[in-house]
Amino acid sequence: MSKLTADETFELGNLVRDAAVSLGDWRIENRSRLSQKEWDELDDKEISLLNFASSIYTSAIGMVLDDSQAPLSRLKSDVEHAKSAIQHIKAFKQALDLASALVLFAGAVASGNVAEIPAAIVALEDSAAAIVNPRGSDDN
Amino acid sequence: MAHRAHGRLWLALTVVLLVAGLPACASFKDVATFASLSANGAGYGAVAKDYVGAIDRRKQYQPQKFQGELAALKTRREAQRASLDVLQQTITDYMQGLGDLASGNIRTYDESLKDLGENLNKASLLTDSEKDAVGALATLLARSVTAVYRQHEIRKMIQDGNQPLQDVAMAMRKIVRNGIIPDLQAESALVERYYDNFMLAPGNPAEPVAMALARETKAEALDRVDDRVQSAQRYNTMLDKIAQGHQYLYDHLDMIGNDKPGGQFTPYIESLRTAYRDLLEVAR
Repeated sequence: MSKLTADETFELGNLVRDAAVSLGDWRIENRSRLSQKEWDELDDKEISLLNFASSIYTSAIGMVLDDSQAPLSRLKSDVEHAKSAIQHIKAFKQALDLASALVLFAGAVASGNVAEIPAAIVALEDSAAAIVNPRGSDDN
Repeated sequence: MAHRAHGRLWLALTVVLLVAGLPACASFKDVATFASLSANGAGYGAVAKDYVGAIDRRKQYQPQKFQGELAALKTRREAQRASLDVLQQTITDYMQGLGDLASGNIRTYDESLKDLGENLNKASLLTDSEKDAVGALATLLARSVTAVYRQHEIRKMIQDGNQPLQDVAMAMRKIVRNGIIPDLQAESALVERYYDNFMLAPGNPAEPVAMALARETKAEALDRVDDRVQSAQRYNTMLDKIAQGHQYLYDHLDMIGNDKPGGQFTPYIESLRTAYRDLLEVAR
């Protein structure tokens, strides 16, 4: 059974389950010709087949779970990246703080501190660039 | 002097905006809605719980001599539970991440704008109209930068995440469609067999009251299994809608972050919403 694919194993489970159901139908249809002992024997076989079908489905599900490990790892990695990106957006408050500082600087400029303006612009430009262009952060 | 300073202020702010040079349009609402519905739907836990709990339910329908193999089967399924949960949780986590990105941290950002407003009020050398203008421009800049960053990250996430998401969703769907539902059908056969034995076994006296009660109990038991089958089928549909919607986003990456996806993407959101509603309905 280990050489079967998951799909083939699922199909095998269906065959076994359907065989059990067919056996049950036959037993009901022919009940007048069956002794109690024969009835019970067939009943046991049906139960065994239905349990066997469930066991086969369980095996096939295990095979799918094993096969899904690779894409699961990749998806987890993407989730981690998203979390990192979200964290980055939260840090944008710093850029806003800089923008706020620029406004204060601008107020100061009006009173003569002209030299402060370029530095404030550069600071904001750097902050914006760091956010817009993730290269050099966690976007590798 | 004041006039020159005033001019520099506008120059500075103009430079800031030009340097940023960012488009202002960015609507992520559709992506956020899609991701939120997907996260809620993918996390529906009843199907996996039913799958593991099936063995305990079936004990009552089988003679004692089968209890040993049922116990062994239960152990195997319990061992799979963690993997099934991880599969579902990973889709949920991914969609929550996408949803958070798409909805942005507007609250944090708006709180920062309040700080900006307070600082603007402290800038006593600016006129009211200048303060308004500075506030408006700073807001515009902040939103532009945030929007472009989010757009970039969302596109990257969808681009990188599409194939593994499709694979994981397909794996979960295969488990539900090819394993859990057929297994529930086997459970249905077990239930039917149990009550048929009671009513039809050779030599059983045909007690009318007992037969009527058995028929009623059988119908109720089969209805419960059927509810579980429906729940699994609707969960399968939900996963299918999630995969289809994400594939659409992947196929139209360049439209994400502007208003274009709205019309064409809406049917995907609506069918997902319907699938989620159907899922909740059967879960009641």
